[in-house]
Amino acid sequence: MGVKLYKRPRLKNPVMIASWPGIANIGLIAVDTLREALKAEEFGEIEPWDFFYPQRVLIKGGVLEALEFPSSKFYFRKTGKQDLIFFIGEEQPAGGRSVYAEGEKAYQIANLVLDVAEKFHCRRVYTSGAAVAPIHHTMVPRVWAVPNNPDLIAEIKKYENTILMSEIEEREGQGNIVGLNGLLLGVARKRGIEAICVMGEIPVYLQGLPLPYPKASRSVLEVLTSSLGIEVDMSKLDRWTEQLEQEIEDVYNQIPSEIKKQLEKLKQVTYAGPAEPSPITEEDKRRIMEDIDKFFKKRGRGIE
Amino acid sequence: MSERYPFKVLRKPKFQSSSLVVGWNEDAGQLGPGVIDYLTRALGGERFGEIEPEDFFSLGGIRVEHDVAQFPESNFYSCNENNLVIFRSTPPRFEWYKFLNSILDVAERYCGTKDLYAIGGMVALAAHTTPRALLATSSSQEVKESLKQYNLVRDMDYQTATGQRPTLNSFLLWLAGRRDIPGVNLWVPIPSYLVASEDPRAQKKVLQFFDERLGLNIDFGDIDHEIQKQNEKLAQARLRLPEVDDYILRLESNLSLSQEENERLAKEVEEFLREEE
Repeated sequence: MGVKLYKRPRLKNPVMIASWPGIANIGLIAVDTLREALKAEEFGEIEPWDFFYPQRVLIKGGVLEALEFPSSKFYFRKTGKQDLIFFIGEEQPAGGRSVYAEGEKAYQIANLVLDVAEKFHCRRVYTSGAAVAPIHHTMVPRVWAVPNNPDLIAEIKKYENTILMSEIEEREGQGNIVGLNGLLLGVARKRGIEAICVMGEIPVYLQGLPLPYPKASRSVLEVLTSSLGIEVDMSKLDRWTEQLEQEIEDVYNQIPSEIKKQLEKLKQVTYAGPAEPSPITEEDKRRIMEDIDKFFKKRGRGIE
Repeated sequence: MSERYPFKVLRKPKFQSSSLVVGWNEDAGQLGPGVIDYLTRALGGERFGEIEPEDFFSLGGIRVEHDVAQFPESNFYSCNENNLVIFRSTPPRFEWYKFLNSILDVAERYCGTKDLYAIGGMVALAAHTTPRALLATSSSQEVKESLKQYNLVRDMDYQTATGQRPTLNSFLLWLAGRRDIPGVNLWVPIPSYLVASEDPRAQKKVLQFFDERLGLNIDFGDIDHEIQKQNEKLAQARLRLPEVDDYILRLESNLSLSQEENERLAKEVEEFLREEE
């Protein structure tokens, strides 16, 4: 069990960006888009067999040719100023017990990823994921940012379209990040590595649908590229967003009108502090959630 | 990190070299358990070790089946005179990699295992009266060549379908290959309406292969008796249940059944066989 590196690139002042699948693959799509746009080069992997069940067997002419596992790969890209290391996990090592990694395996894989970060003297690690929020799908998703060190808060406050947990009504700076996109932050903190998790908002009523949400991935990508001082072409994400808008509208139009009336109120949600009451009350939000839950359960697609 | 061994060897078997046969409980037509039990009985197999359950099964309680409490079992048996090691187990729920490596660790370390055979039943939409085929997947081209004198289907092409996962046996064969242990997965298509009960004809097909390949000199008297008994019961079912007879006739004529018809046939046959026990 371990990391296999095919080459040892000499990297200058590198930053690591890591992601695993999660709700609507928001974080994974953002990170993978960046990796692809920068043409990052693969240079290593985590050996999969101790973490994952095989996903495909290939038998040809009666001989077992291959057994394939979900991949966990490292990529690098030299940019001149600060080089980048990407880690992309195709699956979270859930051990069959849950969708998200937890326990011993999760801790082991988080440490293996950070071993590579330390080996190359990464000065920072970013992870990314999704934030389920009471917003409407016509709104531009914001990015929730969680650092593992209070010294990073001042920097995050300068990011565009980004909020801290304390800026979200009634959260008072509290919350949970499920799975490895969160755990990596904690393990990095334990090892003294600074890390930030950036999460794109997804409307609460879309989180259970088997659809990506590239609009939120774009928001995450904007934050990542601006904090790293790089520019990438996002037109592919924009085209994908346009294609999906229609699918989302189709689902939305199937929602009964009384529930839709409630959902329309989400268009007015802001993240105003307690001194400026939100246009809809907490009671409204609770009712919306209950109605949506009932609707999707009836359709056989329960919200996670 | 210190790694404890998840297996217990009760007594060291006396092997210079051996062949390992692996079968799983909960197999279609009871193929694995049927073959393993027959081999163990016929060859005087003695239990010599086990894999401990705590890493591999959910031990939050027990399951009751046919009024009896069940518990995961993963046992090794040795048949010293035949240089044969047998492993029978409940399929692990978690940590497949560690579990399958434990089997190979015991086989290599204590038994000098030189080759591996894993048994598995697969569902087939066919009548019980058609001859059973024995399909083989090999860990290498050399192993495949070594099987040519047996009556096996050796040229199967297969790829895991979307939404499915490879079987434990495929994972085991792959791991054996990585350790340079030649291995074969043996598959027998089981008529769909016998999947939940027993298919002694399929069991005999596998036993015949082992008899020839490993020179075991097995007495087939008991399994022949089981086959005869089941044939009689199924003939009774066809006589008493015209719908069952009609479905089986259609399968015998290579005609297909709808999913609903298949399910009805399986239910009727299972109930009939259970009542006859």
